[in-house]
Amino acid sequence: MVIGYKPGTTADRRRPHFIRTPEEADQLVLDSACITNLSGYLVSEGLLSDEKAVAIFLKPDGIRSINILAAEAQLNIDQILILGFDINDNQVTALEGEKVEEFATLIESIKEQAPDALKNPLLEKIEGMTPKERFTFWQKEFSRCIKCYACRQACPMCYCRRCIVDCNQPQWVNTSSHTLGNFEWNIVRAFHLSGRCVGCGNCDRACPVNIPLRLINAKMAQEVLGSFDHFAGMSHTQEPVLASFKKDDSETFIL
Amino acid sequence: MTRILQSDNLDKCVARWREAGLTVIGPVKNESSSSYAAVEKAAEFDFSLIMPDRSIKELFFPQTEPMLQYTIKKQRIDTSDFTPPPEKRIIFGARPCDASGLAIDDPLFGWDYKDNFWFQRRDTTVIVTIACTKADDFCMCTSLKLVPDSTKGSDVLLRPLQNNKGWQVEELTDRGRDAFNEIADLLQDGSEPAAPTAVVAEKFNLDTCVAWLQKPENFESTFWREISMRCIGCASCTFLCPTCHCFDFQDEGDTYSGIRRKNWDSCSFALFTMHTSGHNPRATQSARWRQRIMHKFNYFPGKFNVNSCSGCGRCSRQCPVDMGITETLQAISTLQP
Amino acid sequence: MTETSQSVQQNIYKPAIMKIVARHDEAPGVKTMRVEFQNPTDLELFKQRYRTGMFGLYGVYGEGESTFCVASPETRNEYIEFTFRQSGRVTSALANADIGDVITFRGPYGNRFPIEQFYGKNLIFVSGGIALPPTRSVIWSCLDQREKFGKITIVYGARTVADLVYKHELEEWGKRDDIDLVLTVDPGGETPDWKHRIGFVPTVLEQAAPSPENCIAVICGPPIMIKFTLISLKKLGFDESNVYTTLENRMKCGVGKCGRCNVGSIYVCKEGPVFTAAEVSRMPQADL
Repeated sequence: MVIGYKPGTTADRRRPHFIRTPEEADQLVLDSACITNLSGYLVSEGLLSDEKAVAIFLKPDGIRSINILAAEAQLNIDQILILGFDINDNQVTALEGEKVEEFATLIESIKEQAPDALKNPLLEKIEGMTPKERFTFWQKEFSRCIKCYACRQACPMCYCRRCIVDCNQPQWVNTSSHTLGNFEWNIVRAFHLSGRCVGCGNCDRACPVNIPLRLINAKMAQEVLGSFDHFAGMSHTQEPVLASFKKDDSETFIL
Repeated sequence: MTRILQSDNLDKCVARWREAGLTVIGPVKNESSSSYAAVEKAAEFDFSLIMPDRSIKELFFPQTEPMLQYTIKKQRIDTSDFTPPPEKRIIFGARPCDASGLAIDDPLFGWDYKDNFWFQRRDTTVIVTIACTKADDFCMCTSLKLVPDSTKGSDVLLRPLQNNKGWQVEELTDRGRDAFNEIADLLQDGSEPAAPTAVVAEKFNLDTCVAWLQKPENFESTFWREISMRCIGCASCTFLCPTCHCFDFQDEGDTYSGIRRKNWDSCSFALFTMHTSGHNPRATQSARWRQRIMHKFNYFPGKFNVNSCSGCGRCSRQCPVDMGITETLQAISTLQP
Repeated sequence: MTETSQSVQQNIYKPAIMKIVARHDEAPGVKTMRVEFQNPTDLELFKQRYRTGMFGLYGVYGEGESTFCVASPETRNEYIEFTFRQSGRVTSALANADIGDVITFRGPYGNRFPIEQFYGKNLIFVSGGIALPPTRSVIWSCLDQREKFGKITIVYGARTVADLVYKHELEEWGKRDDIDLVLTVDPGGETPDWKHRIGFVPTVLEQAAPSPENCIAVICGPPIMIKFTLISLKKLGFDESNVYTTLENRMKCGVGKCGRCNVGSIYVCKEGPVFTAAEVSRMPQADL
């Protein structure tokens, strides 16, 4: 199977496309509108269970997602053939390589640019706010949340068979979409994505009420990079930042 | 000669209705999202929207709503009711598809057991609909046998004037007439023609689709898996839909006091139908997407004689992977019946 | 206006308050409770409406509600008995409730067994494991007016002897000479002093070989048992329209609004839970 893109309802939309026959390849498109990170489909139930290879169109963020999924034992990278591409100034360029390891240098260079790339004027504005102002800002944004979980479903990293919000013994997170419940959900998700989010923007684009979710994840990525020199998805053997510890950690609660 | 409401007078109307104790609601856009929201001044309305991102449903069936409150003392429970706020409201500038959506759900909330959380709000809300003069690629009311100037579910229908300076007024119900009597002196007689209604191309033949859906053998067609392969199982289509009505109950509080809430729920979610035993009648995303389509165009009409879709197109417009009812029904209409 | 009539007219989701008056451990993790209405008006409404086969939503505030059948018959409608297995959040809370504690009840909802249509006929009840409760309400409805029915046969089985529910009633039924009681446990589930059959319910049913002549079958059990019991009944010559069963789907509202329980176009909460096998076979099987 090849996972790529095909034309969508309107000229600026592309749909995920699953190619199993040569005829299905006729619909394949690759252009600057192909921005969705498709890697999440690889962990959908049954897709890789036949142990056959799957080729998938991925931008660098998608390749980093594959690394994380492999590092977290969600998929076998030997099954994945990468059809790498990048979009710059609306131009699509092909990337050399088909196995994740071959993109290591590329990802290294992305990491070097990350401190600048993660900067965002709105993020800086929020950082300049007092805690109270910041709270008010997010309260307003989260007030629109309807808990459709499109952010979760669109995210390649949200692969849990049973999400914490769906656990009810005990009920860790309020399921209701009121102020408290919306805060709980969005903060829990931000923590669960810390050191794992590659900033593909799937959640941000999926949100039907346009909550700027990318800002939260970018902030967490900055923190993790600054504090632990951890950049998500460097390799398929990278240790997950929130699931590893060092014996010489300055925090006494670690050991 | 028809009665005309001039745009310039709208602010006075809003003030008048507010003085009469009505909460005035209409299409409002802030920087990033749009919805039907309460306004104080007419300038807050945005009539240029094809339709707000969020449907009118939430004003009658909120995403989360307290149903009752409990307190538990030693071997004694007290339950007290929550009732929807008794406020009177006027929604100015509803879209015909949104207003139709409310009419579609009325029989569902009313059969045998009357859900007063819904009806109390229905009974105290005046719906003033503005006919559509423009549509986008996702609008599909005509495919559902509705029209861009449908009166279904509305108390008053307004038709935008060709000169864009107001609306022709068509009062449809007593509730609508009462609300417009409040502003009778702000209306004029006029002969300014109405702007032509939007042209919404028919995207599929509904009868063909329904005939296919009704055939028992098509329930297990491989079509369902093919069409839903890219569905990611979020609930945005169902939550934005003006007619999707599924809900959950959730208790919040502790053993001694708390609130039972009615929350939106969705047939897209895997846990929606999961039995305690672990058995799930709709275990796959394709079974869940089939349920949504079947429910809207086969089961619901079988019960209530109306399709559970008013053609607003939000499901397709907002889908993260560009799926939706339109694509599915278009595909079905090309299949052998 | 009394509290109850208000709750009926205004808030259809408001439950009645029930006090637990008896509690019995049936099998590992399985309990039966008898509850009584605290408000006389609620009791009156229940008595007017309740017919054997209907279900209710039993709840614990702070945890939620769970759907079970009413296991007591319409002929004994001063109280409600229900049997459940402790498995989730609500059932755990219910299991922890003691005699004297109060719980909530909404219902009765759904349709009923058309018991008058069974008058003058032979009856065979087939059930397995924790699915005896819905059958039990029909059994008692019939036993309480025993003269109106012909021969009554009960085939009941469980995985092990310990898993049999209503053991004291099984003993009572076994002693009556107007009931033919056939008990069985799955091979390996027997105890050294087990005197009844060993084998799966469908096999034991075929051995019992009830005549389909003028006979109604009521079957309740796990889906796999239902499937094979239907095959056995067919072999014995039963017509699907003379075989009744109940469907148990996940429900939240119980009144046809929340969108969960439908199988194809059938809303189990309103058109069910009682169906004939003929009706079930017309439903889309993949949705069951």
